[in-house]
Order: sequence, then C-alpha cells, then structure tokens
Amino acid sequence: MLAYTVRRILVSVPVLIVSTFVVFLVVINSGDPVANFATSRQPAPSKAAVAAFARHIHADQPAVERYWNWITGVLHGDFGPSVQTNLNIGHDLFTRFRVTVTLVAASIVIALIMAVIFGVFSAIRQYSVADYVITFLGFLFLAMPVFWFAVLLKQAGIWFNQQTGSQFLGTIGEKSPYLDVDTTWNEFTDHIGHLVLPTITLALVSFASWTRYTRASMLEVLNSDYIRLARAKGLRRGKVLVRHALRTALIPLTTVTALDIAIVLGGAVITETIFQWHGMGEMLVQSAQTVDVYRTMAWLLLSAVVVIGFNLVADLLYAVLDPRIRYD
Amino acid sequence: MRVQRSALTRGLTLAAGLTLVLAACSSGGGSGGSGNGKGDSAGLASCGTQGKANTCNSGATKAGGTFTYTLEKNIQQWNVQDANGNTFENGEALGVVLPEVFVPKPDFSVTLNTDLVTSVTQTSTSPQTLVYKIDPKASWNDGTPITADDFVYYWRTNDGKDCPPPPASDASQTKGCLPQSTAGYDRIKSVTGSDGGKTVTVVMAKPFSDWKQLFGAGYPLYPAHVAEKLSGAKAGDAAHMTAAQMTQAWQYFQKTPPSKYATAGPYKMQDWTDNDHATFVPDPKWWGKTKPSLDRLIFKVITDATQEPTALRNNEVQGIYPQPEVDLVNQIKSIPKVTYTIGNGLNWEHFDLNLHNPVIGKYKPLRQAMFTAINIKDIVSKTVGQFDPKVKQLGSHNYVPGQAGYQDLVAGTGQGSGDLAKAKKYLTDAKFTGVGTALKTPDGKAVGPFNCRYTTGNQIRQSECQILQSNLASLGIKVTIKPIGAADLGTVLVGHQYDIIVFAWVASPFPSANAQQNWVTGGGGNYGGYSNKTVDQLVTQAVGETDQSKAASLLNQADKIMVDDAYVLPLYQKPTFLAVQTRFVNMRDNATNVGPPYNTAEWGLKK
Repeated sequence: MLAYTVRRILVSVPVLIVSTFVVFLVVINSGDPVANFATSRQPAPSKAAVAAFARHIHADQPAVERYWNWITGVLHGDFGPSVQTNLNIGHDLFTRFRVTVTLVAASIVIALIMAVIFGVFSAIRQYSVADYVITFLGFLFLAMPVFWFAVLLKQAGIWFNQQTGSQFLGTIGEKSPYLDVDTTWNEFTDHIGHLVLPTITLALVSFASWTRYTRASMLEVLNSDYIRLARAKGLRRGKVLVRHALRTALIPLTTVTALDIAIVLGGAVITETIFQWHGMGEMLVQSAQTVDVYRTMAWLLLSAVVVIGFNLVADLLYAVLDPRIRYD
Repeated sequence: MRVQRSALTRGLTLAAGLTLVLAACSSGGGSGGSGNGKGDSAGLASCGTQGKANTCNSGATKAGGTFTYTLEKNIQQWNVQDANGNTFENGEALGVVLPEVFVPKPDFSVTLNTDLVTSVTQTSTSPQTLVYKIDPKASWNDGTPITADDFVYYWRTNDGKDCPPPPASDASQTKGCLPQSTAGYDRIKSVTGSDGGKTVTVVMAKPFSDWKQLFGAGYPLYPAHVAEKLSGAKAGDAAHMTAAQMTQAWQYFQKTPPSKYATAGPYKMQDWTDNDHATFVPDPKWWGKTKPSLDRLIFKVITDATQEPTALRNNEVQGIYPQPEVDLVNQIKSIPKVTYTIGNGLNWEHFDLNLHNPVIGKYKPLRQAMFTAINIKDIVSKTVGQFDPKVKQLGSHNYVPGQAGYQDLVAGTGQGSGDLAKAKKYLTDAKFTGVGTALKTPDGKAVGPFNCRYTTGNQIRQSECQILQSNLASLGIKVTIKPIGAADLGTVLVGHQYDIIVFAWVASPFPSANAQQNWVTGGGGNYGGYSNKTVDQLVTQAVGETDQSKAASLLNQADKIMVDDAYVLPLYQKPTFLAVQTRFVNMRDNATNVGPPYNTAEWGLKK
C-alpha cells in the first residue's frame, strides 16, 4: 500500500505541472491587469506608475519565463506577486483555506452522518411513508438553488434573533468584530452562532445528493445473494445490515464524497459570498475579476492538490472497505 | 473604482428581493415594517434638500455605543498617497486617524480642517505663496507636535522628483515612490517652517489653481517623525531625507496599518483584522473641538453589497453605503428604525465616442446627430429613475450641480434630447444620405454598424446601450451591443476596442486636474483620442489659474467647445445611497473621495 501511495503521489506531479501550465496560459491571456490598473483609478496613474505595475506583476516577461519563475518560486514558498501590490499570496491562500475548512468541516460531518442514517433507513424501509418523505426532502434540497436557500435561512435567522431578542445567529463573517463581554465562552458561542446558518446550508445540499447514493447503493446490496445467504444462515438483522451490507454500500459513497469534499474545499463560492466568509471561493472570484494571475494559480494549485489528495484517500479507503481490493 | 456586480450578485439580489416578497406575504400584508410607517425617515431624508447636505441628520449625542460601518473592499495597502493604495476604502479608514488640511464636504465644497490648521492664506499670487498656521495644540498621539516637517515630508515624497519611481532594473518595484498624483506638488518651489514649525510657507514655482487639494482632500498627512526614525534620517529634517530613506518610509506606510504608528485623529485604530474589520476607539490625545462620543467605531468588510441590508436588519452593522439598486433600496425601506438617503454622487455616467474610428472621428455633424438622437430622459426613466425620480440629465463634463462652477452647457444644444428632427437636420445639412434608413457619408460610405460596449452583468448599462441602439436606428445607424468581460474594461479603453462605450467617471471637488487628464490631447483618461488645441490651451490655463472663479470660467469655455465637438455625452450623476439606524446621528452622505466618514468625531448615539 505504501509503494502504491508513493507511486500515486509521483504520478500526480506531472499532472500538476501540465494542468497548471495550461491554466497559466489561459489565465494570462484572459485579460490585461495593466490596462485595468491604468483605467480603474482617478486620477489615472502616471505612465511611470503603470510601467512599474507591469514590471511588478511580471507582465513584461514572456509566458514561459513567467511560468518557470512561478513554479520555481512556489517550490521556495513564493507564490508570486499579486495585482494587489501588498498582498502576500501564500499567506492569503492558507488563511482562506483555513476559513473554508472551518466553514465546511462541520457541514461535511453532519451531511455524511445524516446521509448514511437516512439513506440506509430509506433503503430498508423502501416504499414506506418515511422513504417517500426522505426521498422528497432529498430532491427538494437538490432542486433548491443554494443562493435562494441560503437567503431564506438568513431571513429565518434574523427572525429567530428578533423573536428571542438575542444576537445569537450571525449572518456575516465567522465571528463578531467585538463582544460586549469578552470571555472564552462568549467567543465560543459567538463562533457557533456564525457557523449555524452556513453549516445548515452546506450540509443540507450535500446531504441531499449523498443520501440518494446511500439509498441506491444500499438497495443494491440488500438485494444481493450474499445478503440473502447471510440472512438464511440466521445472522441477526442488525449484524447483516451493518457488517455485511453497509460496509459494501459505503464504497460508492466514498468516491462521491471524496470528490465532493475536494471541490467544496476549493471554495463554496455562493455560501461564502452570502455569509461573507472570506474563504477560497471569494479568492477565486476576486482573482478572476481582477485578472490576478498568480493568485488564481495559487488557488488552482491548492485545489488541485486537494482533489488529487482526496482521490488518493478514496482509493485507499476502498482497500479498507473492500477486502478484495489490495494495492501492491 | 467599484467592482462591477456579477451575475452571481444579481442572482443574490433577486433571491433577497423575492424572499422579502414572501416575508411580506407571510406576515399578512403589513405596511412593510418601517419603524415610522414610511421609508424615507426624518434623519437623512432632508439631505437632498438644497443647502442641507452638510447639516442634515444632525443631533446631540450621548456617550457610549458602537457603530459599525461597512467597507466594500479589504484594505491591502495602507498608503493612500500611493498609486496602488489610492482606493476609496483606504481613504475612508485613514481619514479617521490621519489629519488633512482641507476636507471635501457632502455639498462638494472643501472646508478648512481647523483642528489641524487654524488658517491658510494665499499671501501672494506671483509667486503663488500659501501660508498655513498649524494649531499649536496639534500633535501626533505619541506627543510629537505636527509641524512643517510633516508638510515637507509630504511634499518631497509626492513631487515625483525627490523620491522618484522605482527604476526598471528593480525587479521588486519597491525602490521608489509612486504617488497617486504629483499634481500641484511638482509645482512647489519650497516648503519652509517658522514659529517653531507651526507656520508653514509654501512657495509655488508655477501657480496651481487647485491648491486646496494640497496636503489633504482625502490624502492625509503621514507622520514625518515616524518616517525619519524608521529610515535612520535625522529627526525633524525631512528636507534632507534621501530618496532611499523616503522609499523605506513609503514602503513602511504601505505595509503597516495605522494601529502600529503614531496617528492624529479623533479616534485611534485599536486593531486591524485583515479582510474582516478595523476597530477604532477614541484617542485620549485628540485635541480637536469635537470629542468622539462613541465607545467604539468599527469598519466591517462586506464585499458583496447585496448582503448589507440583511446585516443591517440583523444589527450586525449600523450603517451601509452601497451602490443603490431597486431591490436593495426596497429592502432597506422595509427595515424598521433605519433612515436612508439617495444622493447625487460625483460619479457620472456617459457615452463616449471613439474618435479613432475613421467615420466617427471625421464627421462632427454625425457625432452631433448621434448625441442629439439619444434620449437621456428615456434612459433615466428606464434605469436609475426607477428608484430615484430626482435624477436628471447632467449638463457639464467638469462639474456637477451644487458645485460653484456648474453650468448646464449641454441641454441648450439639444444633445441628449432625443430630438430626431434636429438630429436628422445635422445629417442632411452635411449631405449625408440614407437618413432614417441606411445612413451613408457624403462620399457614399456606409455609416456603421457601430458597437456599443458595456461591462457585462451591468443591467443598467445594458439598457442604456439598448436605448441608444433604438435611438440611432431612427437615423439609419445600426448598432450592435457587445458586452465587455468584467475585468476587461481597461483593455477595451486603452486598446480603443469600441465605437461607443458607456461607463462612469468620478468628478472631483478639484476639476482642473481631471480635465487635464480626460480632455487634453494625449491625457491619461482621453481614451477616445479627442484633440482640440483651444481646449488644450484653456484647460492648461485653468490648471495654472490662482483665482478659482476664473479657473471655472476657463473650464466652462473649454467645455462649450467640447460639447460642440460631441465627443462625450454626459448622461446623469450616479445616485449614492447611505442608510443608518435612526438611533445614531450626524452621519451624512458624502459622495466625494472621503465618503461618509468625513466627520466620524461627530457620529454618536442620539441623545
């Protein structure tokens, strides 16, 4: 398994290089940040300032040279200059990644637990009222646009605050700028209060699709011969469901969740925007809007690493979940 | 300077609007929830009344309270004098803690900041000489007095000569100063101190009409003694700082939030959390006449304007200053105990013609006809007029109504009237053929099709192009509408990749410098290639005129010629929008570059 892991990591290096180079070419040709700088301020910057800006962001260098300088810089921890001249892209990247992880971690755990519980329940009670209700809710959350749902939740949160005369639920940011009584407990509850609404938003959306996968997979397994055999042998229902059925049913869910988690760690753009969490999603949007080449590349690099990493984790989990799979 | 709103943002706005509709339905069709039963409540409502801009929403304050105001962008660079740090949000935050000589007011006038300088006198016009008397009590909060040395440091870092831009060989582009503008500072001959540094005498080598913008007007003073200390220069001797020393200080002020060095404002910055908020608390060392009454002032970063109304409703912020939209204004109207005002800003929307286009550039009657056929009243009623019925056609390229120099030079010409008969007459008189069907030049060449370009996602500008398209079709000119990528406006302008374009400029309390940039041959903002020797001469003369009314007269003379040349058609002033909770007073819409925080010392809880 170790050799397999190392091999997979090594294979991902050329994948990263090729993908970043292609995207680099696309990004540097997608707009002209120097022209934007020259025209977006009043008074318009002097010619010297425009020339200095162009040199600062390396816009005066050929594409291949720029890419080479960037990739070698990254190896030394330098992610290159931003169009925001004082911005340290590396620091910005990891700060925002922490924000996004904070935002999505709880929602992923909640969504996974709910998806497994409701998916399994739905499968073993197929065509029951409960199954229909769970199926309806699943499709409802799948069909509901996140920006609509999140805005509704914010309004509900404000209503809750007004009814309780409190300021418990926050609608912007990860915490309040200040607390009247600054204790550790108050800080903790303030942070939780800001997490509730975005967590529900993200969790219900992920839950909706994952619960469908779990149900479908579980149904397939429950109708397989080896489960019938296990039951025929007189094994207890609970043991059959958990040890024999669920373990097998989780395999497809592992692939889906691993990919979904990787994508959401690249930024839950809409949720971050609505709840004003300054995470990876906002970084991508801002970088694209300002043609910030090196900031876009930093985002891409980290997102690619996360995707590759979670794919690897999913593959390794196969081996854990399915005894027939062994990597040499 | 504001980022164009994306499709995502518009989606969010729509969702918020629809949610409010649902909320209204579910509450049994109430009045909308305004605390006093009507949206435009007493506080800011009178700000639109003539003569009230500087005094509306006034009131006595009581001690205590926290006021959270929104910033729509993070502050990444803290040197607002720098070309890169010159952002609206940076100016708003620094204005709270750093002093400036003249302050732009809500009515677009500029008034002397008498807390810093008790008087400024122009003692001579040849050479132009200005004498500033610094308040004897004025000092930085580390106890160092504010003196002429601070003015000398400001001048030398901003004149473009003593601290020159970084050389091309500097890979990091950090070894030099890049001021946002050298205008005025490059004309100064000397800055000297007397009376223990409390009198500053500025002698100009060449006269400068907008001298009130020197050492302030949104670009405050930085502490020279801090610059001297960190760069190893002799204390109190900014006059002899080397370029390297000034560069070092320039860089320091770029990277360092003002919580880390001595400041001189009613508040001091207690902390800055990057990408989130700045906290200001009253500075006990503040010597000014008005002491802050708030316990705390917070500037919170909210990068999506559509989230501001919910934050205001949830009492997470108490004041917002977003670009108004119909949905946003309606949301604010439904929030109880919130007062708001829609003002006329300094940003003005306009159609520009690209004179590099051989047909457009060659035929003045064609341009005049095009501008006359455009119906601005129609444009306004179908766009910003939906939430602000007060918006009117703008009649000047240099001033906005309310400024002393404003004259409506456009309406009399018929431009923007939609008068098709007059427009067609321009063309027939100039021997154009196919008027109203398929327009051709006198020498038989087809006119158009032209493109009308706007920033993608901007619904208002899209509508403006559509109305123009319809207006010009009546003359026989085909127009295609071509959006510009959100980040590509600069590329399109600099590369002249348009025939007609709609965007906005920011007028200024100091219009001469803007005029020089936008209308003079080869000026930095003259993207369409306009060139008229008389205009060049008049504008240059205005920049060097020490008498403000003469300078305005010169600019208006130039403007008359420009209007006749039909290069840029002003449409209207873009509305601004300030909303604050009614329990606070003294916040006002200030559409200049300093924004509403121009008077934070006065902000407070209503008594």
